[in-house]
Amino acid sequence: MSAIPNTVQIKKHHSQTSLTHMACPECDLLQAIPPLAVGESVLCLRCGKSLYTHHKNSIDRSLAFAITGLILYIIANMFPLLSLKALGLTQDSTLISTALALFQADRPFLSVVMLLTTIIFPATTLIGTIYILIQVKTNTTDAFTAPLFRFLQSTDAWGMLEIFMLAMLVAIVKLGDVADVIFGVSLYAFVLLILSLTLLSASLDPHDVWNKLREKKG
Amino acid sequence: MNLKTARQADLIACHFCDTLNQVPNIDETANAKQEYYCSCCQSEIHSRIPNSLSTTWALLISAIILYIPANTLPIMTVVMWGDGQPDTIMSGVFHLLDSGMWPLALLIFVASIFIPVLKLIILTGLLLSVYFKTHWKPRDRTVLYRITEFVGRWSMVDIFVIGILVSLVQFGNTASVSAGIGALSFAAVVILTMFAAHSFDPRLIWDVIDDERLVQHQFQQVNKT
Ligand SMILES: [Zn+2]
Ligand SMILES: [Zn+2]
Repeated sequence: MSAIPNTVQIKKHHSQTSLTHMACPECDLLQAIPPLAVGESVLCLRCGKSLYTHHKNSIDRSLAFAITGLILYIIANMFPLLSLKALGLTQDSTLISTALALFQADRPFLSVVMLLTTIIFPATTLIGTIYILIQVKTNTTDAFTAPLFRFLQSTDAWGMLEIFMLAMLVAIVKLGDVADVIFGVSLYAFVLLILSLTLLSASLDPHDVWNKLREKKG
Repeated sequence: MNLKTARQADLIACHFCDTLNQVPNIDETANAKQEYYCSCCQSEIHSRIPNSLSTTWALLISAIILYIPANTLPIMTVVMWGDGQPDTIMSGVFHLLDSGMWPLALLIFVASIFIPVLKLIILTGLLLSVYFKTHWKPRDRTVLYRITEFVGRWSMVDIFVIGILVSLVQFGNTASVSAGIGALSFAAVVILTMFAAHSFDPRLIWDVIDDERLVQHQFQQVNKT
């Protein structure tokens, strides 16, 4: 964090492309955003909220992680994640079968929650991010880019695959005591998927996309 | 120093893209008819989240009420050789302890009991602090809010564990797992508190301080002239 000379004078901010000033989303303090070197971030002067981080090649790297993530997501959904062997029988589980099992067990609400948090929102995040980043790269953003990106930003907290990963670890340890738990092919893809999603969120600052959109508007 | 909030400078920052929009005489009283839109992304913008306090209270109180069945009713029943054994959140933690799996017991305790209770307490405290217009440590309160917002979703882990067990352990009468009403209430608690944290506007913590500072500032100016 660098010291910011704070002269709050905003001129022509309608046509600004990259943000020269920002209001802290958590305390509303207006402050100047200085030009940043790669890897630097600006924290709010007053409450410490991280306002902006300058990532290296943010758009390219994020696109790479999102495409890797989508491929892994497809593989993770194609084969069983875990299998349980007991009494000569084997029971497989995938992401979708977990949601469906809850539906069959008369818990439609839980089933819908699982479906949204582990299948739909992760998928929209990956596909939507790829679509928007390609648009930004090829300079073909249109009237739907902004609403789509807003949707992705507001549903971001509801994709919960990393929490599902932790839940699988718990289930493996719990069941390991009483039955044979077999790791499915998809489990490895799933672990790598979590890694790509983490790298994706660490490499993309939403401001980088908004700056491009502002640039286009002029 | 010449520090101002966006509202004092007649600006509204967009919630999504952080563009500062110039809005003279921001009027966000209940009967204001004026709606403002972001010049960059066209979303509706507000200087403060509308009805933040009443929405947060409503969600929080519903969550507190549902927290009771979430803890007293069984979240999961494990049937082994025809015998069902219903577990509540707490008895599940004790079973894990009994079978020597204390790291798991600790994890479930933190995710399913410690975090939700902490979240309910912090949100109630924040709402009360804004209601009573306290000046007490605004920065610390903002950090508490940030932690609550970040950590809340991890409480879903127990719900996912139940989902995985229900889908994996399906061996008829010999061994099966079913999800109880407690799990339903607990999932609702987690979701409601996530929405509650989302509808709370941390800028309200600072508004009391900023408004008085502005008044003092104007007062000093009047004295000088
Ligand atoms: Zn701040
Ligand atoms: Zn905007």
